[in-house]
Amino acid sequence: MSGMFEGNALPGIQTHSHTPNNYSPQELSLEIKAFISGVDQTQGRKLSVRDHARCAIRLLRTVPACREAVLEHLRGVYDEYVASFLQDLEAEGENGGNSASGGASVSISNLEDVIKEVHAVLSEFIKLSPKAWAPLVSSWAVDLLGQLSSKHAGRRAAPHSSSLNELLQLWMSCAATRSLMECYSQCLAAMLAWCPDACVDALLDTSVQHSPHFDWVVAHIGSAFPGTIISRVLACGLKDFYAHGYSSAEKISQQQAIDKSSRVPKIGSVVGILGHLASRHSDSIKKELLRMFQDSLSVPPQNVPQLTSGAGGWENSPHLRRATVPFLLQLAALSPTLLGAVSTELVEFLRPPVLIQLQAQFQALPREELENMLGLAVHLISQSPSGGARVLKFLADTATPSSVIISGPTPSPHDGIREACDRLLQMLLLHLHKLVHNRPDGDEPFPQSSTSPAMPQVIPFLEELQAHIADLCAETLRLERKRHLWLHQLLCLLSVYGGPSIATEALCQLFTQARNPEELALASQLYTQLSTSLSGLLPSTVARCVAQIHTQTLDIKELAQLLNNLATAVQSQEEDGKNGGGTTTTTGSLTQSSMASEVRVAVSSNLQDFCPLLLHGDSGVSKAAVRLLSCSQIPRACSPAHLLRICRAAVSHFFVCLRQQGKSPQAGQEEVGYSRRLLSRLAAYSSLSQKAVLQQLVEGALHKGNQDLFGGLQENPSDDTTQAQNLVPDLGISLLDVNRKFGTSVNFSGNVWSVFHAGIIGKGLKPPYTPLHPDPDRVSQNMQTLLAVMVQCCSSSGGNPTGSAGSTCSEPNVSDKLPPINAEAAKVIAVTLVENICPDVANGELSWPPEEHSKTTVERDIHIRRCFEKNPVLFYLLHVVAAGRPALCYCSVILRALLSTLLAHWESSREPSVSDSPWHLQTSCWLVSCMGEGQLLPPVLSNINEVFPHLSPFEVRLLLLGVWEYMRGNSPMPQKFTFCADQGLFFRDFSRDGDVARYIAPIHSVLHKNIDRLGHLCWRFQV
Amino acid sequence: MSDIRHALLRRDPLSAAKEVLYHLDISLGSALQSSAGPPAGLEKSTVELVEEFIFHVSKDRNIQSKRMSCVQELQLLEIICSYFQEQSKDAIRQVIFSALFSLQGNKADESRMAMLGKLVSMSIAVCRVPILECAAIWLQRTHSAWCVRLAQVLMEDYCTLVPCAISTLQNICSASPRFCCQLITAVTALYDFSTDELTPPPALLEMLVGWITEDPRLLLLTFINSPLNSSLPLGCLEITPLLGLLRWCVKAPLAYHRGRKSAMTNGHGDGEKGTAYEELYSKLHLSVLQVFLMLQVHLTEKNMFCRLTVLPVESVAALIEEVGRLCEKLAPLLDASHIQLALDRLAQALQVAMATGALLCAREDLRALCSRLPHNNLLQLVMSGPVVQPPPHSSPFQPNMYPHIHPGRPSPLSPHSPHQSTLSSPHSPHTVLTAHPTHPALAPHRPLTAHATHPALSPHAFHPASIAFPYRPIR
Repeated sequence: MSGMFEGNALPGIQTHSHTPNNYSPQELSLEIKAFISGVDQTQGRKLSVRDHARCAIRLLRTVPACREAVLEHLRGVYDEYVASFLQDLEAEGENGGNSASGGASVSISNLEDVIKEVHAVLSEFIKLSPKAWAPLVSSWAVDLLGQLSSKHAGRRAAPHSSSLNELLQLWMSCAATRSLMECYSQCLAAMLAWCPDACVDALLDTSVQHSPHFDWVVAHIGSAFPGTIISRVLACGLKDFYAHGYSSAEKISQQQAIDKSSRVPKIGSVVGILGHLASRHSDSIKKELLRMFQDSLSVPPQNVPQLTSGAGGWENSPHLRRATVPFLLQLAALSPTLLGAVSTELVEFLRPPVLIQLQAQFQALPREELENMLGLAVHLISQSPSGGARVLKFLADTATPSSVIISGPTPSPHDGIREACDRLLQMLLLHLHKLVHNRPDGDEPFPQSSTSPAMPQVIPFLEELQAHIADLCAETLRLERKRHLWLHQLLCLLSVYGGPSIATEALCQLFTQARNPEELALASQLYTQLSTSLSGLLPSTVARCVAQIHTQTLDIKELAQLLNNLATAVQSQEEDGKNGGGTTTTTGSLTQSSMASEVRVAVSSNLQDFCPLLLHGDSGVSKAAVRLLSCSQIPRACSPAHLLRICRAAVSHFFVCLRQQGKSPQAGQEEVGYSRRLLSRLAAYSSLSQKAVLQQLVEGALHKGNQDLFGGLQENPSDDTTQAQNLVPDLGISLLDVNRKFGTSVNFSGNVWSVFHAGIIGKGLKPPYTPLHPDPDRVSQNMQTLLAVMVQCCSSSGGNPTGSAGSTCSEPNVSDKLPPINAEAAKVIAVTLVENICPDVANGELSWPPEEHSKTTVERDIHIRRCFEKNPVLFYLLHVVAAGRPALCYCSVILRALLSTLLAHWESSREPSVSDSPWHLQTSCWLVSCMGEGQLLPPVLSNINEVFPHLSPFEVRLLLLGVWEYMRGNSPMPQKFTFCADQGLFFRDFSRDGDVARYIAPIHSVLHKNIDRLGHLCWRFQV
Repeated sequence: MSDIRHALLRRDPLSAAKEVLYHLDISLGSALQSSAGPPAGLEKSTVELVEEFIFHVSKDRNIQSKRMSCVQELQLLEIICSYFQEQSKDAIRQVIFSALFSLQGNKADESRMAMLGKLVSMSIAVCRVPILECAAIWLQRTHSAWCVRLAQVLMEDYCTLVPCAISTLQNICSASPRFCCQLITAVTALYDFSTDELTPPPALLEMLVGWITEDPRLLLLTFINSPLNSSLPLGCLEITPLLGLLRWCVKAPLAYHRGRKSAMTNGHGDGEKGTAYEELYSKLHLSVLQVFLMLQVHLTEKNMFCRLTVLPVESVAALIEEVGRLCEKLAPLLDASHIQLALDRLAQALQVAMATGALLCAREDLRALCSRLPHNNLLQLVMSGPVVQPPPHSSPFQPNMYPHIHPGRPSPLSPHSPHQSTLSSPHSPHTVLTAHPTHPALAPHRPLTAHATHPALSPHAFHPASIAFPYRPIR
């Protein structure tokens, strides 16, 4: 049994024999003596640095009581290594001798082994017994790092403390300092579990003592333990902030000097540390700061045991909680980086319950401290690089009264909060006003830097708000109580601060977003306040609006709104102009008039940019555009290209309006009015624009897409085919298509027989085509509108604009009431009609050939007649041409075509009465009347249309044949007309044409034959 | 004295400290030689010099005291060690040690304790026996709170800071047994199992078991060397570490739940560690019981049997009350086996202590003390005690009974020792069997007869002889 017991004890003995602690007490005693004296006790020689360090390491392993002395001794070893390291770097930099470099290298190599051994021992100890070694080694390492950083900061090899990365690179390349850093990191990692405060406190104290040379240590440690360093640094800073006399004003006043000297370095160190970490760990810093703010307001946890480590200690201290908000404000004041990190999201935490708690906290503060805090908050808001827009929204939302009903004699907490935010907002505006106008005041709690007035200060709050102009304008235009006043004032400050570009943007946004005249008045007010300090605002604003339109950032509603607002701004001047003649205008009216005139000029300068909007797909936008353009004047220096583009857009819009008018008469009518006004202005601008407008109006009226507006018939597919064949040379129809269509049939285009397509052999006559008839009233209305526009355009002469054109509708047949039509304008219409109706230019001369000669142009004549059949508007247009004498001369080819086809019709007609051909009868009467109006026929001949309804077809033919003979004998030439200045018209003297008696002989014959029914008309035909 | 002080103020801290030591040596040595009797108290001026120039407590507000660096402090410690090593007269050493480190109740005591800790720690490393002997006396005379602090410093140095440094501490057992005895007492006062930090480190436990197993008399060293009629100062450490060690053995199973949680978290390894701890505590318990038996012999030799208090009843009562509170608190957390183990150990200790005269306590009082403890069979046996005899026979029975037991007690333990070791290794609950030899002397019950029915166990065959012998006078 005893042997078994001894066997059990034997392994322990063997285990002990293998441990390195096999020094005898005597040997340890000698080691201690050697360490103290630096002399080897057995050989009596002096220990080298390396041997002395190794002796220290042995004591560190074996004699616990020597640990502090050993660490103290090792400070010297590390210092010597660093000195050699830097000296070696400097020697290399200076290209020193090889021997010196070799010596330094040997020295560093020797000590490096020692340092590695020390590091290994300490690392092992920290790993095995963290609670025992970590506090000791961490304080030793941090203090030594601080000393080394400061001591060697002046060396040539050491970079300047401002270049943190270079400093970090240098020190981390040195084995000694890298070893210390790793030791400290290991200690900090170990101590996180139970008392991180002590570790971070040492770091902070060393940072205060050795900053800025020590910053690289903080940066490195912060990168390794960002969360812990951030939270502990903030907690330690808060405690220090409270300890340095924040608690009472009396204490502050008593120890002002001491507090200032001792307070700033600590919080400055906190700011420096967090500043270094912000480049990579801004999110962590933000979370910690916001969590700190939240915890300071939340109820402390109940029944939670007090942690001895103090990790969460500050949350349980009422005093520290109360000091948190001032501490955070102070931090933000000292560090723009921290201010930027927090201000972005801080407003999200400011919910009503949080605000109530804040108010409860601050009620206990003395008034002076509260005022200082408010001033500091205002300063911070103005200096916040980001999040300013959200802060502003929060303040405005909270400060806006929610209801006009008085809540009662006792104000509720919400009222207090609202009043506080109101006051804060007022202070902010005042502060910004001072900053913007660069008038620092003696009472300013935070005096500005001493920059010269020539260089404006940068205000981060306003810098950020410049990107939120649209939102600010939208909020301002809501016209809420007091809110829009604040925001309007802020817009003024922002515009003055930002310069013309910001002011332009603000005005542009107001013009874009205002929904009614009341809201639009804000733009006038803003312009009033800004025009004194900024010039050229409105041209820039309109240019900005144009740019906005080009980028298509606005939706349809916004685009229409913008155009309407601009039009309203322009119209206000005209109204004032009308009223200004007889009455005295007020100051506001004068200002508005001034703005209106400038807007008008600016819009005119950008007219070519607005005119494409006339053709916008949305009716609201196009209507607003035509309204704006109708109020504006065309610039004097408008280029022909721009002018033609505007004319084309305006004419296209006119036809769109006519179609819209059919759908909604009320709105369409208003829009048509704007369009007519615009076209009149364009026609009155110059002869070029007049010609362009008239030409495009004619072409538009004859366009297939618009024929139905004026009673035009829908085309028959068969007719279309025939027409297509006839128009091959003009339309460029593919011959291949034609050949495919008819197979082996040969196209006899131009052949006289191909025109008469009466039907299909074996199937009888072609069935008659029944077209869709549009609403007669609508057609009549559109016709009247078109004629009115054309008359207006023809009445205006280039270079002689009229103030306002009359909008009266005149009957086309009542020539006496028509205003005088410009001959050149009528000529434009005539030429355009000929170009659009006559398919070819052959035989287009003005003179009339013999009637038999018309056989050669029968196909063309029939085509022209069909055009008139499909487009009744042509009759009215010709009438306008006739009114503008001598323009009808240029329509000879059209007149001949119609007369020729009518002669053929009446000759071949077998009807007993002409009333059986109503279209032909009407056309015959109209044609003769028109030629009479155009003074191509003498009155005695033009009056024959009155007897046509009473004659037989043959008799009508005889009379029309007489007309042809007269035209052949008296060709219509413009030269035959004479201008009468008093009436503004051209007249033709028929007496110079010779005797007309021989041309009226057939008339008399017909009259004699029908004397019983036409006797009362004989006087109309007396020569 | 003023002249000396002014001269010292002009010197560097280390030189000044040396001069103070020299001054102490000269003055105190002379005083001892001149007076025939015990020396009088230290002069106040001497104490002030020591405090100002060795412990750097400034006496003048206007003068900032110079502090030594850590290396200089180490030099001073080395000088003190050398001085005590070279001083041949024990009386002078004691006086000077007392002059340096006797607590004065002022703010210098903190510096005193710091330097004392370093000095003793260093002396352990380099095995300075004179200092260790002086420290042992210091531990004997100083309030337990300060003793605990010194123990804490030493435990941190040798059990926590430096790995494997415990072997250095282990070696001083042969050099200074008195210091080790006092250190054990202080260490048991330091570690009370209240938290993880205040649980004895495994290395320390192993070392103590080794010390006591090697030389059980170590635990009685202070007791034996103390004057018989001397009364302990109020608040000082106990006269022996027996009660402290007993507290450890009883409380260890109740603290097992923390270790078990750790085992669950870390896996099987910690489970094995727990088993190793249990084995160590079992060995420690056995050693304590053996020391009680040795104590009986000593008391008998001094003719102080049942007259001298070794385990104060008040301390035992406090332990029992604490165990009761712990059992009640930890019942939901622990297995019943752990509680039973703790109570078994308590019962065994109480039985042996009362039998050997270490604990003077009537059974009626014991029953009252243990009334709130959970049920335990062995404890019930201990509390019930022997059968009450008729009055005419009680007086002649007792004197006859005890003399007969004493001569035969050591011999039965010898053959049982290996048996108990063997049984203790695999199954710690079987330590209950270690108490069986004591039953025949005090508790003749039928269960003993039941044990005789297990013929397979050869050690039990020995019991009939023992059983027959003590019962012969009764029958």
